[in-house]
This record gives sequence, C-alpha cells and structure tokens, in this order.
Amino acid sequence: MSSDFEAYEQDFGTLTAEITNKIGRIPKLGGKEKTQLVLNVDKQLEEVRELMEQMDLEVREIPIQSRGMYQSRLKSYKGEMEKLEKDFKRSRIAYSDDVRNELLGEDAGSSESQRAHLLDNTEKLERSSRRLEAGYQIAVETEQVGQEILANLHSDREKIQRSRDRNHPEPSPGLRPRRHHPPHHHSGHLFQCARALISPNALTHTHSVSHTHTHKTRTRMINSDKSVCSGVIRTNGAHESLFLGPDRGLSL
Amino acid sequence: MKLLLNLISLPGIEHTHSRLYASAYKFLTMCGCVCVYFRGSHHKVEDACEMYARAANMFKMAKNWTAAGNAFCQGARLHMQLQNKLDSATSFVDAGNAYKKADPQEAINCLNAAIDIYTDMGRFTIAAKHHITIAEVYESELVDIEKAIAHYEQAADYYKGEESNSSANKCLLKVGHYSAQLEQYPKAIEIYEQVATNTMDNPLLKYNAKEYFFKASLCHFIVDELNAKLAIEKYEEMFPAFADSRECKLLKKLLDAHEEQNCEAFTEAVKEFDSISRLDQWLTTMLLRIKKTIQGDAGDLK
Repeated sequence: MSSDFEAYEQDFGTLTAEITNKIGRIPKLGGKEKTQLVLNVDKQLEEVRELMEQMDLEVREIPIQSRGMYQSRLKSYKGEMEKLEKDFKRSRIAYSDDVRNELLGEDAGSSESQRAHLLDNTEKLERSSRRLEAGYQIAVETEQVGQEILANLHSDREKIQRSRDRNHPEPSPGLRPRRHHPPHHHSGHLFQCARALISPNALTHTHSVSHTHTHKTRTRMINSDKSVCSGVIRTNGAHESLFLGPDRGLSL
Repeated sequence: MKLLLNLISLPGIEHTHSRLYASAYKFLTMCGCVCVYFRGSHHKVEDACEMYARAANMFKMAKNWTAAGNAFCQGARLHMQLQNKLDSATSFVDAGNAYKKADPQEAINCLNAAIDIYTDMGRFTIAAKHHITIAEVYESELVDIEKAIAHYEQAADYYKGEESNSSANKCLLKVGHYSAQLEQYPKAIEIYEQVATNTMDNPLLKYNAKEYFFKASLCHFIVDELNAKLAIEKYEEMFPAFADSRECKLLKKLLDAHEEQNCEAFTEAVKEFDSISRLDQWLTTMLLRIKKTIQGDAGDLK
C-alpha cells in the first residue's frame, strides 16, 4: 500500500517539475507554440489531479494509526498543486519582458529613465513654487500701491467736498443772497468770479469748465479797485479754496 | 511814469542771458529810485511792486535764484505797505520758492512770513501747506529733524482745525515717523494708535490701518516686550483683520524669538518677511534696535 503511495509521490514530483518548467517557458513564446505548451500543461495538471485523488484513496485505506504522516504530505502536495495552477493562469496572461522591450524600444536603462523622470518632476514642482512666490510678491506690492491710491483719493475727495461746500453753501432761509452775484446765478453753475476776485493780475488764467456755464463776473468786478476786492475777500474767506497758490491748475 | 515803464520794458524783450541780467538790475535800481522818490504815493508804489515782480521773474529766467528771491521779498514788503496782504503773502511764497534752490534758511524765513500773513487772515489750510513745505526743507536740506517735526505738528493741527482729516493724518504720520527715529517712543505710539483707530472704520483707508498698528506695535516692542504683547492683543480685538495679516504673524514670531532670546529665529523670521515684501528704512532701523536688545540681553546674562 504505502509503496503505491510512494510511487504516486514520485510521479507527482516529476509531473510538477515538468509543469513548472513549461510554465516558465510559456510567456516567452507566442502563437502556436504557446497554445501547444498551454495544452500540454493543461493535460499534465489533469494527471496531477488524478494522482492526488488516488493518493487520497490510498491514504483512506491505511489504518488510522499511521494515517497522520501521509495526510500531512497529501496536504502539502495539494498546496503545491494549487500554486502550480495559479502560476499557470498568470503565465497565460502575463507578457514576457522580452517581447515588451522589443515593442517599446531599448530597455538599456529603464531605471535610469525613471530617475530622470522623477528629477524632471521635482524640477517642475520647484519652478511652479517659485512662480507662485513671485506672484504672491507682486500681489502684495499691488496691495500697497492700492493703499496709497486709496489714501490719495480720500484726501482729494475731502478737498473737493470742502471746495464745493464753500462755493455752494446749503441755502438757509435767513441769509440774503450775496450782493456781488447777479440774481441769475444759481447753484449748479460753476463760476469764475472768485478767480477774478483773487488774482486780478493774473489775466492769463483762463480756466474754462467744460460743460457748465462760466459766468465771468469780471465786468461786475472793478479789478483796479482793490479796496472792493480786498473787502470782498475778507467777507468771503470761503473763496480761498479756489486760490490754491502753486496749484492754480485746479479747475472744478 | 508810464513812459518810464515802457522804456524799461523794452530791454525785457531780449532773450539772452546776460542781457536779461543787466535789464533786471536796471529794473531793480529803477524800483529803488521809484520807492525813494514816490514813497507814500499809492499808484507809484503799486507800479514799483509790479516792477519788482517783473524783475524777479527775469532773474528766475536767468536762474539767479537769490536775486529773484530778493526781488520778490522787496515786492512783498511794498505790498504790506499797501495793506495788500494777499499779494504780499503770494510774493513771500514766490520768494521762498526761489530761495529754496539757493539759500534754504532765507526760504524758511520768507515762508514763515507768508504763514504769519495767512494765519492772520484766517486761511489755515494754506498756512498748513506752507508749514509742510518748510518741514520738507528742514528734512532734506538743513537736516534738522526736530524743527521738521514741529512744523509737521503745526500743519497737522491746522488741518485738523479745518476738518481735513486725511491731510492731518499724513502730517501726523510723518511726525510719528521722525519721533520714533529720534526715540521718542511714547509720542510715536500715541500718534500711530490714533491714526490707526481713525482709519480702521473708513472703507477707503482701512487697508492702511494694519500697517499703522504694526508700526505702533514695533514701537511698543522697543520699549518693552510685555507692552508689545498686550498691545497686539488689544489691536487684534479692535481690528480683527489685523490678526490675519502677515505683519501680525511676524510680530508673534518676533515676540517668541525675543522670549527665548533666540537671535537666529529672529533673523530668520525677518528674512522671511523681507523676501515677500521688502522692509523699508524705518522698519529696518526699528527691527535692528529690537534685535540689539535681544543681543544685549544675552550679553547681560553672561
């Protein structure tokens, strides 16, 4: 009995060796040879399975006392067979390295190319981070410029508001209209009488406001009569806002 | 008199340098004569003023600034005689501008005279503007920071009086800037805090507020580290946007470095900030002073 078992074991060993050999060769071949080899391996696997069944029956016939050893051996053989089957399956779908290399060109430094690829990636990342930093700097500078501009705008707004309020004070019911403005002057029209008041010598200053009327009240003002001028200046201290010294270019 | 004027005006047509010079001198002497002969006579003094002005302009064309300034000054004094305050003031200002290029001290005198006239007339905005001009002269040419600060302060007060808050703020900032440089820290701190609280509500100006808080905190820092900590907490409470800013982060790092007396961490943090937005001269000076206190403390421990 046991000799049968041992005979079976030997067969098993040779068969598995052959199968492993063939499985190793399968990926490298292609086409007809491959299919033939696959068929061969299939057949051999069948034989191995039959062997396993017979070994099983043998073990059952052995008296229970000495069965243990044979059973453990059987288990290991089963495991080997399963492994062979798995390898066989994988080999059928696996590509061979040689064939792949032939398709995709020289394989001389595959690791080299990977390394170069990685270096390239790192460099790209560094470049992008540098550009982001530069962008951030520019954004911060822009913010500062914006701050200055806003501050300038604010102060200009105050100046303009002040000048406007002085030129066209809110009409209050009790006040008489100013005498030196003829009655047809009304708020909403900018006029240059103030300029005439203040710079009697500066006959060259002709500031024309684009679309609003400029009522030149020079005819009303007696330029040479400085007492009138200075008198009016004293009472209309408000018009100082138009007299801007060096900034005579302000035209409202 | 008119004939005289016409005769004199003829040389003015010349365009060559030396001729202008000569004609301008002629003008001056004529003006002098006119003053002597016709002193007190209204019209003649007026004409004299006019001639002085023309002479001064010709000196300006010839780039003889001192002479131009001189002529303007004379004209201004004559205007004062005529009680022509406004014209006098403008002449003084022109004199000041001319002197600026040659003799800063004279310029300041003229501008001061002009300011007196303006404040007399109650025109504080213009007076404030001239104070700023004077302060700038002190800043740049006669390097006298104390006087510059005084003038800026005066200008700020006038602007505040006239409700021009942004101009007032501009002047106050300069005052703060220079006081901190001169190590008058409490004053600087007060100014910066004041300006910052004023601007933080204004939508146009609130982006500046964090800068002012930063500067105030730096001044606190130089005085005492604990002050700085409390101040920063206070500012964060007042103005939440300050907490997010890079300046606040820098301050916190600096505080930590200072606590640990770690010079390298300090330098590291400053370098990082500098790499993004360059530190200007004032900031560099302040940070250097703080750094010295760290090193000083480390030295004391030994």
